[in-house]
Amino acid sequence: MSEAGKLEGSGAAAPLVVRGVRRSFEVGERRIEILHGVDLDLMSGERLCLMGASGAGKTTLLNVIGLLDRPDEGRVEILGTDAWSRSAPERARLRNHSLGFVFQFYHLLPELSALENATLTARLAGLRGGDLAEHVDRATAILERFGLKERLRHRPGRLSGGEQQRVAIARALLLDPPILIADEPTGNLDRATGEKVLELLFEEQERRSFSLLLVTHDERLAQRCSRVVYMEDGLIQADSTTPIPH
Amino acid sequence: MYQAFLSFRYLRARPINWIGVAGIFVAVSALILILSIMSGFLAESRNHLRGSLADVLIQPHLDRPVQLDGEFRPVRTDAERLCELALTVPEVAAASPHYTWYGMLAAQRRERMVSDPNFGDLSLVKLVGIDPEREFTVSDLREDLLRESQLLLDNRVADADDPFGPIPGYEPDGRPLDPVLVGEQLASLWGLRRGRTLELVTAVLDAETGAPREPVSRTFVVAGTFRSMNNEFDLQTLYLPREVMADWMGSGRSFTDVTVRLHDYANQREAALEGLGTSLHAEGFLHARGAGGWSELRTWEDFQRSMLAAIENEKSLMGIMLSLVLLVAAFTVFAILSMLVQEKRRDIGILTALGATPGGVLGTFLMIGFWEATLGSLLGLGAGVWAAAEINAIEAALSSLFGFTIFNREVYLFDHIPTVIEPGAVALIVIGAFVATLLAAAFPAWRAARLDPVEALRHE
Repeated sequence: MSEAGKLEGSGAAAPLVVRGVRRSFEVGERRIEILHGVDLDLMSGERLCLMGASGAGKTTLLNVIGLLDRPDEGRVEILGTDAWSRSAPERARLRNHSLGFVFQFYHLLPELSALENATLTARLAGLRGGDLAEHVDRATAILERFGLKERLRHRPGRLSGGEQQRVAIARALLLDPPILIADEPTGNLDRATGEKVLELLFEEQERRSFSLLLVTHDERLAQRCSRVVYMEDGLIQADSTTPIPH
Repeated sequence: MYQAFLSFRYLRARPINWIGVAGIFVAVSALILILSIMSGFLAESRNHLRGSLADVLIQPHLDRPVQLDGEFRPVRTDAERLCELALTVPEVAAASPHYTWYGMLAAQRRERMVSDPNFGDLSLVKLVGIDPEREFTVSDLREDLLRESQLLLDNRVADADDPFGPIPGYEPDGRPLDPVLVGEQLASLWGLRRGRTLELVTAVLDAETGAPREPVSRTFVVAGTFRSMNNEFDLQTLYLPREVMADWMGSGRSFTDVTVRLHDYANQREAALEGLGTSLHAEGFLHARGAGGWSELRTWEDFQRSMLAAIENEKSLMGIMLSLVLLVAAFTVFAILSMLVQEKRRDIGILTALGATPGGVLGTFLMIGFWEATLGSLLGLGAGVWAAAEINAIEAALSSLFGFTIFNREVYLFDHIPTVIEPGAVALIVIGAFVATLLAAAFPAWRAARLDPVEALRHE
């Protein structure tokens, strides 16, 4: 088991703790192990950049952390809860309340407007009536702050890539999750737009102090993170800095 | 409730979903309309079949004696007393004696009997001897005599209140001919008109031995025609005065059966049968009650059972066949939802990543089926009930639009397309459509709930 990624004696609370995660897949008659026992801690308010070549196991690790893909072995603790030992509805609730997702391809629902997409997490949380209306107001405020005031009623098909990603970020932030997972959030954007989206994301992190787990290939982006973790062959091989809450 | 919100959005955004709604709409409205028409036909047919028959037929069996107080006595044959007794039963409204026997029409041009294939069926007729005034109280004969003719003009009786009134026509020996009333259909086929003569042939039974005697023929004069709305009855029935029949048969009996009309047939049938059987048996007109009931008492439904069963059966078959349309509609919903689940794999992955439970995903897609079922069923209900209520106006409009008669009133002998909207059947159709659609939606919804979110998110 790799010791890199695991924090020793930091003393700070880690909202996300990954221990000994293994994941393998059957391809034909062969079984390919993608994660070989990953350990990782994401500290409160930390901005952690996960890097690695394609096939290193970053996305698989993210799926396990995001409670979408069950590991063969190991443990994922979210706010002290052993998430994979919980029932499917409890895991769904953890995904909804404690994790925020930002995907490379935005993943907005094409049938919904920008505002409806941004409030989707609130609807999935079962909010109704006044509570839902309050979250609609919150989402509206976030989208307006993101420069989308004139785009609230537009469907994703009528938004640019940058605008769609801003809506996706608004959606991820609406319920104020303590952990935000971003999988190459600028990977599908041009450089200037990507910069703007990142600025926005980092501003929001400073404002809300959530822990950010960022997967990227972009070295320049990595330089702006408080900690960079390199993955190779299903293991965390290097941890660049001693984490400092951002 | 996000399931309702999302499912309604998917329904609204995907025009293909409306095909499912349209399928259910067509199936539900067609089922309601066709079954209402079939129920209408059944109700009208019952009316017509009943119209030409009285509610209850008393048919004493004279072949064996009646056992009363331990003694065997011959069956009494006093028609007047029997009618009196029948009228003492509270449920009985009227009674009329008949003399019924069978005969054959002898064609004026006898070679036609050989060459015309219809004659084989039509020459055998039922000869019913009646007392017109009493007959009018138990059956719809008076209305049948007055009903507007469809096939023959000016061929009704001279006086409906006295249908056997004097008709000019005499035997070669100078004796006046006895009158006969002929069904309009039969008169049309045989070329009979009021005032024309008609030869009937029958085999009279010997009063002593019961064996058939030599065939006898007799010439009658057509007093007029009637139309009972029951084609078969009109083709096979001739009315004669009862005393003429009794005289011709020469059996010494004045009647063969008595027809009875009840105040409320639907609700008093059983009580009336029991009352009639008990009182008539007590005076020696009927035999004792058997295991199956009073064998000499029969209701009009007993006579028309096969006809009624055939219409009922047709209605059921139509219902089953049209249910297949409903199955096709449900299958359409299944196919559309399966396509939608396939198309929306990525959305399912996104929803799961954002916190939807498998149950929530299942509910979302099941609810699309629910909207389709609700919209299709309600629209189908409205359209079906409206079409059933306005079928005659719709038929008239379509007939004038296409330039031909859709509903041939002469074929069915109905002046209008009859419909009866049965609330129970309508509710069953709507509930059936609703359940079938939800069941059809259940499998794709279940598949959606079981999708691997990682695979689903990869879907483009």
